[in-house]
Amino acid sequence: MKNTSRRRFIKLSSLTGMYLVVGCRESATEVEEITATLSTDAPSIGLNQFISIGQDNSVTLFNHRAEMGQGTYQSIPMIIAEELEVDINKVIIKQSEANRELYGSQMVVGSRSIQTEFEKLRTMGATAREMLKQAAAKKWEIGIEDCTAANGSVTNKVGDSLSYGELVEAASQLAVPENPTLKDPADFKIIGTSVPRMDVPMKTNGAAKYGIDANVPGMLYASIERSPVFLGTITSYNDSEAMKVPGVKHVFKTSREMFGKHREGLAVLADNYWAATQGRKALKIDWDNKGLDKISEAEIWEDSYKMSKTEGDELFGKGNIKKALARGKEVIEAAYETPYQAHVPMEPMNATVSIEKDRAEFWGSTQNPNGMKSFIAEKYGCDESAVKINYTFLGGGFGRRSRSDFVEEAADLSFQAGKPVKVIWSREDDQTQGPFRACSLNVCKAVLSKDGKVDALEHKVIAQEIRNQDGDNMKAGRQLMGGITTDYLIPNLSVKGVLRKRHVPISYWRAVYHSTNPFAHECFIDELAHRAETDPLTFRLDMLENPRYRRVLTEVAKATDWYGPREAGVGKGVAMVERSGAHFAMVVEVREEGKQIIPTKITTVLDLGICINPDTVRAQTEGSIIMGLGAVYTGLTLKHGAMVEQNFDTYPILTIGQCPEIETIILDSDAPPDGAGESGLPTVAPALANAVFELTGKRVRKLPIDLSTII
Amino acid sequence: MANIKLSINGKSSTIDVDPQMPLLWAIRDFVGLTGTKFGCGIAKCGACTVYINGQPARSCVLTTGATEGKEITTIEGLSENNDHPVQKAWIAEQVPQCGYCQSGQIMNAAAFLEDNPNPTDKEIDTAMSTVLCRCGCYPRIKKAIKISINS
Repeated sequence: MKNTSRRRFIKLSSLTGMYLVVGCRESATEVEEITATLSTDAPSIGLNQFISIGQDNSVTLFNHRAEMGQGTYQSIPMIIAEELEVDINKVIIKQSEANRELYGSQMVVGSRSIQTEFEKLRTMGATAREMLKQAAAKKWEIGIEDCTAANGSVTNKVGDSLSYGELVEAASQLAVPENPTLKDPADFKIIGTSVPRMDVPMKTNGAAKYGIDANVPGMLYASIERSPVFLGTITSYNDSEAMKVPGVKHVFKTSREMFGKHREGLAVLADNYWAATQGRKALKIDWDNKGLDKISEAEIWEDSYKMSKTEGDELFGKGNIKKALARGKEVIEAAYETPYQAHVPMEPMNATVSIEKDRAEFWGSTQNPNGMKSFIAEKYGCDESAVKINYTFLGGGFGRRSRSDFVEEAADLSFQAGKPVKVIWSREDDQTQGPFRACSLNVCKAVLSKDGKVDALEHKVIAQEIRNQDGDNMKAGRQLMGGITTDYLIPNLSVKGVLRKRHVPISYWRAVYHSTNPFAHECFIDELAHRAETDPLTFRLDMLENPRYRRVLTEVAKATDWYGPREAGVGKGVAMVERSGAHFAMVVEVREEGKQIIPTKITTVLDLGICINPDTVRAQTEGSIIMGLGAVYTGLTLKHGAMVEQNFDTYPILTIGQCPEIETIILDSDAPPDGAGESGLPTVAPALANAVFELTGKRVRKLPIDLSTII
Repeated sequence: MANIKLSINGKSSTIDVDPQMPLLWAIRDFVGLTGTKFGCGIAKCGACTVYINGQPARSCVLTTGATEGKEITTIEGLSENNDHPVQKAWIAEQVPQCGYCQSGQIMNAAAFLEDNPNPTDKEIDTAMSTVLCRCGCYPRIKKAIKISINS
């Protein structure tokens, strides 16, 4: 069982209660090493699971969300520090343990870490602040209302001052206030400022530790051969040559589950990774690919177009779409195609797991530390408290690291070998095994009224659905309509889904269905605007009451001089989307340079409620735009049941030289914060395609696109 | 297997490995310096960039045997206190997001600026297009390079 003496906290009361941090320093764990340079040795007393204060006035804030580039490593402590009234640039940031009871969900997905945690984190900071004030009030024998907390100290009206370090012991003995007053947002000093991220210096000298850097004594390294045809199983194999490679210790069959389907592999375990990869090359395996190797790209699209003629399942309906389409003089119709995409975080999938007799331990890059804990506990029949999760920095996630499949392989191989095992996927494994962003066919139909308004619009999505990849249920769910706004005031509006089941595994990819559907929806709205001979931005505004959409559209028009004259050889396109609560509008400017069309400037206006760290939000928007633009130029293709593109040579992600000028404008707001991690991605493809149309009169309806082939 | 003597960041270490093993794995798994990263294994992403006798090289395709007797520099050896002008500019511009590719970005940028201390935008694009970043830190990389030129 887990050695409880290693726990750094002794629990004294329930959830929001007090935790006494043991004063003596224990040997640093892998995760603690991440922040080793910032650590203190001074005795420290916890006021709750997020805050610990040293008698030397050091303030340690425990961050309960993994950092994969989204910047919550800094913005979560910023929220706590704001209410706690401490200097954010002097706090020590540590990753918390993975503990659902103490921290609730720790999953880093869907741009949720700020929007769902904002009130909780403020309350945690305010609770501790009030306890410190109460301790001072008691000492001075005055009322708490006569005490003020600021900059790590409590002061009173006669000028006495006690530091948090002097107060923390007494404060920790006090009852936890139930409803501490939260600050008036007008008084925010930290929230809304661009505070430098403390993880940045660790990422400029190689000090930051990622899952792939885990080094566990006695561990073996594993490389796994899997059928490129996703559901292929092993008929027979010969490992005699592999076992001859110096350093190779074992060859084991293993499997990983993904959305209800088990995927087999043959693993080579060695005392170093290189040996494992050499052993893997020497394996001889016969695969049973179950006829799935007959499926290629053409069949997928043929099937999708055929199925687009079926009725589909209604996911949203308003008015009477059938009647409205039937009575229209002319039905305008367009079909849009988006390909499969791979996540390709720069750190390939990896996991290190040790399954022992009565405990287990995990080291690695995961978006879901508690999920990994539950998964291992359930699979090996032990209590969750006997599973230690060391979650590190992630070398990118983009949705891929929310899954447990690669952890399952490491756990299974550790169980078989009786040793800790580190599994490392090659880039080719990462890119060809999936799960992928789903490909999508979107068929849109509309009828315009005499006065040029949209009377009816039907948007049909023909695609696989992440939540519904297994089983016989062929009914499409609402997940399929992600990113299709229903805010346009169209009297007859219908969104339909035609669910497809394919052997290609799919999963959450940055912005999910918002990365495909808006390409169709926002391009189609643009097509309708041109048919109605109305400016596309005005056309949108005329159909919108939603004040947030109206505001971002109006502001992006101003920022880009949308209504001004165009230079020769320049085109502009607009698109708008809501993702994770954030509303944004984007204008892409393209220029003609010889036969090439080049996006030269991308301007995004964001309304995402209260913005915690504007510089981080700008960084996220830049990154989202660049990932979105890459997905305009590149896609995966299926041949003989497998992905053709294996590595960056055939699946080139965007480079610095292809990167346009990016401007991000964040609007002031006092509304609760929305998610910021995917803003900008959904609008890139449609705004770019709309700009290409304005410049050339040609519609881009199929991605990926080579922009040198249009003129 | 053979004993190979490597000189990394001015320190020498002898490891017993297959001379055909890429230097990347020797540095990471045998010498224990993990700042140099594995990204693609085919010299296409640049995350594994190190210097061999001062010249940038992709350690994922360079055999360990071929680097014996040469001076290897990794990100850990670029500066003692994270204060190389490029590192300072990277911190000032808050370049990294996930940070995984940044050792390669910084090593490549530092070598490029050594050869070309006053590059044009186009030269920056060409030189830095060989190192990939999935988070999309490119606008900041460009700014940081310009800052370090001016310092």
